[in-house]
Amino acid sequence: MMIAASNSAAPSTWVEKLAAPLKAALQHPWVESIVRLSAVEDTLRSLHPMLSLTEVRAQVVRIVDETADTKTFVLQPNALWHGRHGEHGPRAGQFVQLRLEINGRRVERIYSLSSRPGARLLAVTVKRQAGGLVSPHLHEHLKVGDVITIGQADGDFTLPTLLPAKMLLLSAGSGITPVMSMLRDLKARNYQGDVVFMHVCRNPAEFIFAKELLSTANRFPALSLLLHFDDSVGRFTPDSLQSAVPDLGERATWMCGPSGFMDAVEGHWATNNLTAPLKSERFVAIPMLPTTSPGTPVTVMLALSGEQFVTSGNAPLLEQAEKAGLSPKHGCRIGICRSCQCTKKSGTVENLQTGELSSMPNEQIRLCISVARTDLSLDL
Amino acid sequence: MSFAKPTHLTRQQVDDFEREVDAIRASVMNDLGQSDVDHIRRMIRICRASEVGGRALLHFGVGPLSWVAGVLALANAKILDNMEIGHNVMHGQYDWTGDPALNSQKFEWDIACDGEQWRHSHNVTHHTYTNILGKDRDLGYSLLRMTDAQKWKPRHWLQPMANLMLAAGFQYGVGSHDLEIGKYTHGAISKPEFKARLNRFLTKTAKQWFKDYLLFPALALWSAPRVLAGNFCANLIRNLWTYVVIFCGHFTDGVAIYREEDTRNETRGDWYLRQLSGSSNLEGGRVFHILTGHLSHQIEHHLFPDMPAHRYLEVAPKIRLLCVKYGLLYNTGSLYSQYKTVMKRILTHTLPPKNATTSPA
Repeated sequence: MMIAASNSAAPSTWVEKLAAPLKAALQHPWVESIVRLSAVEDTLRSLHPMLSLTEVRAQVVRIVDETADTKTFVLQPNALWHGRHGEHGPRAGQFVQLRLEINGRRVERIYSLSSRPGARLLAVTVKRQAGGLVSPHLHEHLKVGDVITIGQADGDFTLPTLLPAKMLLLSAGSGITPVMSMLRDLKARNYQGDVVFMHVCRNPAEFIFAKELLSTANRFPALSLLLHFDDSVGRFTPDSLQSAVPDLGERATWMCGPSGFMDAVEGHWATNNLTAPLKSERFVAIPMLPTTSPGTPVTVMLALSGEQFVTSGNAPLLEQAEKAGLSPKHGCRIGICRSCQCTKKSGTVENLQTGELSSMPNEQIRLCISVARTDLSLDL
Repeated sequence: MSFAKPTHLTRQQVDDFEREVDAIRASVMNDLGQSDVDHIRRMIRICRASEVGGRALLHFGVGPLSWVAGVLALANAKILDNMEIGHNVMHGQYDWTGDPALNSQKFEWDIACDGEQWRHSHNVTHHTYTNILGKDRDLGYSLLRMTDAQKWKPRHWLQPMANLMLAAGFQYGVGSHDLEIGKYTHGAISKPEFKARLNRFLTKTAKQWFKDYLLFPALALWSAPRVLAGNFCANLIRNLWTYVVIFCGHFTDGVAIYREEDTRNETRGDWYLRQLSGSSNLEGGRVFHILTGHLSHQIEHHLFPDMPAHRYLEVAPKIRLLCVKYGLLYNTGSLYSQYKTVMKRILTHTLPPKNATTSPA
């Protein structure tokens, strides 16, 4: 029987150790022809929604209203979650992928963990984005008791094991979530150094985690809390940061917030030749629709083979790839057989049959009826 | 029957037709959502329950009645798996959901035909070159002579028998379809390529035999013969059913056959017209449609192969109206009446042509 090679660095829970060979056996082609893994998974799910051989699932145990448009979802993960494994567990500042099905379509979004790493429960704090798909869905439909699928904690916007003596946690708006997790971690690790937590938002009503931060500031001697409310003291600038934190150049900084905010701070670091480490986390929004007009040359990256080619964007990707000397798998060439279907990791394509433009990451496209409208990255 | 004549529609009308069919397609494709996923998942659940129930009846039942019920339940599971689930999922009808269990490129079904080979022989060859003689290898499955345009050979005297064998062993006919034995014997396919294809087909067949004729009978201990016979009959019923449905989709009276040269430089409108005139429908109730995998709506399926098949029901009246508007044949009838014309065609073409000099118009 085939046993799947274990992912060397990944820790595993006892349940995972039990489930892994079973899962590997079920994926064996001969076993698969008798019973499909998806059938076993569905059966397990119908026995209990948290049961799975393959997926980390988490049950919503509490929903906290943080502000008018921000909620924290406290989740109880199943045993496949690598959550409580000390150094292998999630680290403060990391994010987790939430996978949902909205109107029949699977959607995935990543959210920073706001909970303290090592906690029994994990939490994500989600600001409702007007016109968004996932955050309004979470706000309106996710109830206590619901079970969702999540990924393992990931990301390298984290605190080191050895903490620096002077730190700055800098956040704006909903960028507070990963640094909040960091602060909770510092508290739990009984940090003895000097941490400044500076948060920028419009007004106290939009101040996420206000109550907890204020009470932490009272009881945690290492922490100095600085708040900047745009509505009362004017728009935040790096100069206001410099005057509020004069020893900026001596502090290791972790920063998260909107791009404009982070660009400004990074610019300040550059123009003042600050050498103190500045780590930042960016949440890249889904790219906006088209950025090039038909005919503009764009680059198509093939992520798996490492090849790339330039196309003028007038002919289907399949033709362009072939012109560039590549030979992707194909069939009918008119969009019906899906032999040339592949995952577009990023970029915007136009569907020649419908004229539709789409910029969704990790989307299935057919090379024979798709035209590049921006630089693309394909899983080929 | 000879080749389809060029359409009576003007260029402008063909373009208008294309736009109208596109609009029908868009109205459904822009409306896909939860109910479509719910439908296919319900079918998968019914299929699984039917298989478990059928196998349980065969394994643990006593007496002939439970055996018959077991066979029917297992046949039903295999039919649902092949038609409404496998065929439709592998067309990419549910790729938009992002659910890996419904992914067209990964799905594998409960039949002797390897999914990957089927995706080629069916999705690529048949759906691209529908009813083009010499290109669409579904035309008679390289076994039967279905049109005067195919050259009569003495082996066609055995055509009624060949038809019967193809029907009973249809899964092997479909499974070996992508081997392209004819091409290989003519040297158009290299030996290693052919061997690789053969290996894939034999491996899949072996898996099916292992399951139905070895593992499950062995698990049944002293009931082994009962289970083995039951599995055989369930497979046979599925074979006959799929054969009938599929033959009624393309080989009925009035279905057009094309010459390769007539289909060069086709616009999408021309392609729609060929799909329409190359397919025929079956009439029936909701359960009947599901059991055919909605290939009872073969016309709609050929126009929109990647549209979730249960939506063909709402699309069909619109296509039918279009046919009236443009004066096109919408070929439909009951299973009985449609199959009668298929049989007539098979039998007619068993005989050598009366006037051998007749050439296609």
